[in-house]
Amino acid sequence: MNRLSFMWLTVLQTLLRLLPFPRKTGLVRIGSPGRDSPVLLTGNFRLTVERVRRALEGIDAYLLVANSRGVNVWCAATGGLLTNHDVLSVLKTSGIEDLVDHRQVILPQLAATGIEGKVIHKKTGWRVVWGPVYANSIPAFLGSDLEKTAEMRSVSFPWPQRLEMAVAWAFPMSLLSLLVLPFWKDGVLPIVGLVWAASLALFLGFPLYQLRLRASGKQIGFVFFAFGERGIPLFLWILFMVGLAGYTALAGEFAWAPIFRWGLTSLVVLLVLGIDLTGSTPMFKSGLHEDRLLRIALDAELCKGAGFCEQVCPTDVFEVDYERRLASLPRAVQCVQCGACIVQCPFDALHFRSPSGDVVAPDTVRKFKLNLLGKRKVAAGAREPQVIS
Amino acid sequence: MSTYVLMRILESAPRRYDLGIRLLTLGRLDKAYDRLAGHIERGQRVLDIGCGTGALTLRAARRGATVVGIDINAQMLEIAVRRAREAGLTENVELVEIGVAELDRESAESYDAVTSGLCFSELSEDELAYTLEQVTRILRPGGLLLVADEVRPRDIVTRLLHLLVRVPLAALTYVVTQQTTRAVANLPEKIKAAGLSIVSLNSSPLGSFSEMVARKPAGGKL
Repeated sequence: MNRLSFMWLTVLQTLLRLLPFPRKTGLVRIGSPGRDSPVLLTGNFRLTVERVRRALEGIDAYLLVANSRGVNVWCAATGGLLTNHDVLSVLKTSGIEDLVDHRQVILPQLAATGIEGKVIHKKTGWRVVWGPVYANSIPAFLGSDLEKTAEMRSVSFPWPQRLEMAVAWAFPMSLLSLLVLPFWKDGVLPIVGLVWAASLALFLGFPLYQLRLRASGKQIGFVFFAFGERGIPLFLWILFMVGLAGYTALAGEFAWAPIFRWGLTSLVVLLVLGIDLTGSTPMFKSGLHEDRLLRIALDAELCKGAGFCEQVCPTDVFEVDYERRLASLPRAVQCVQCGACIVQCPFDALHFRSPSGDVVAPDTVRKFKLNLLGKRKVAAGAREPQVIS
Repeated sequence: MSTYVLMRILESAPRRYDLGIRLLTLGRLDKAYDRLAGHIERGQRVLDIGCGTGALTLRAARRGATVVGIDINAQMLEIAVRRAREAGLTENVELVEIGVAELDRESAESYDAVTSGLCFSELSEDELAYTLEQVTRILRPGGLLLVADEVRPRDIVTRLLHLLVRVPLAALTYVVTQQTTRAVANLPEKIKAAGLSIVSLNSSPLGSFSEMVARKPAGGKL
């Protein structure tokens, strides 16, 4: 793919980021790979595949594209759209087994929420290595004998990503604001402007209130009445209203009707944008999932310090003492409850604990993928489905 | 992690899958399944690939066959398990959560028939080729492959015509179940390439839905 079409793809898929974009699955050759070349795997979100391909420029490797239903790796693996079956399938049916002599596949670390390395190895003989979070660290990862630095393991939210998320929200919302066209013709353009300004302010301003989001802890609250995320959209709204009132007063056009109308409109815009503010960042758990109330817990009795948790945690929660063979969670406050550590722990030493003390066992986390209806939590007490076999 | 809408949708889809598929195929599917199951005889060993909620699996079991149904969707299998239990067929039905990539665990020439309804259209090209290769291997000589699936019409005119019918139907189905299927291109050729011979081919008027019966040649290695 040349530079121009890559740019076009980036723009299109950023505008429509909230929708899946599937690409053909199977084997992709990068450079001229040979029998010892590394084998990497990713999901079939179009943009992801192109980004991995570009990141690997100059390296000879095989890239396996597994069926993640056109959704990015993290969401797909966590939501049950990229599963063991999909990884097994591409390993067995892409023909890769005839092309290389080794049996080691590098998976994106963020797939660890849904793919079980142990199962893949048992069923196919392929050993799963958890690669870095971002494609652009793959060359460094390959160059360092597959050692990951803490940086390679961690998610971050730099401004290009924040800009992407701002656009991803603003564009579909602009389309939605066209719905007011029949009733309020003059309102459409200002609303679209408001949507973009508010979205850019919310996401680009993220570092300014990031600490407040963390410090506030994980509280329950009905989305709207909690005013989005810890009052951040509400704060922006008050700023906007003060500005609006000040401007009209100074311009000598102060009147209650437009203040009221724009006050209401901007409140709606900010609340909708803020519906899943935390979930739109990689730094926090989605505010919409019931899982956000769960806490990760370690059973020190079972822990043997294998270190899988440290390797797959995207927020660097763990510290593993390889002398004493024991993990600890010194940075538990950073946990996003993705569950990757629970899924990967070979000794089932980690689990989720609900505020009321219920335990969500590792096998439940492995079986029930994360979803809005909090099925993981529900399933903790419910009857397990059975398959006759 | 904000595929909010998507997750919610997928969460609730399997329960409405049967209804949606019936809509998409305009009720043609049930009849096709009945006809295909008619090829199965008492005492046979049958594999149902992509059994879903058990439509073909249970039909085959009712005819007295011992059936293994495989699917990768645990929620669909749950429904299939319940339906097998309600029909009192648990004795001769085995449901397993594996995908086509694990067909190599089945022994060679161990099945009298392989059935598959609306599954091939969900597979990638690679997966379909692999599946057909495995099916040929695990069928006993003379064994049958029974398929009902959406196929891509051959000539451009019917393809366009089909698109006209298909697009609104697919949209409706997506609204109801958030599922849709793709159509397989050149399925008979692919089945032949895998070493089976086509016994009968029954297509819908627009050529978009096909029932196929294929046989593994008796005697002689492939």
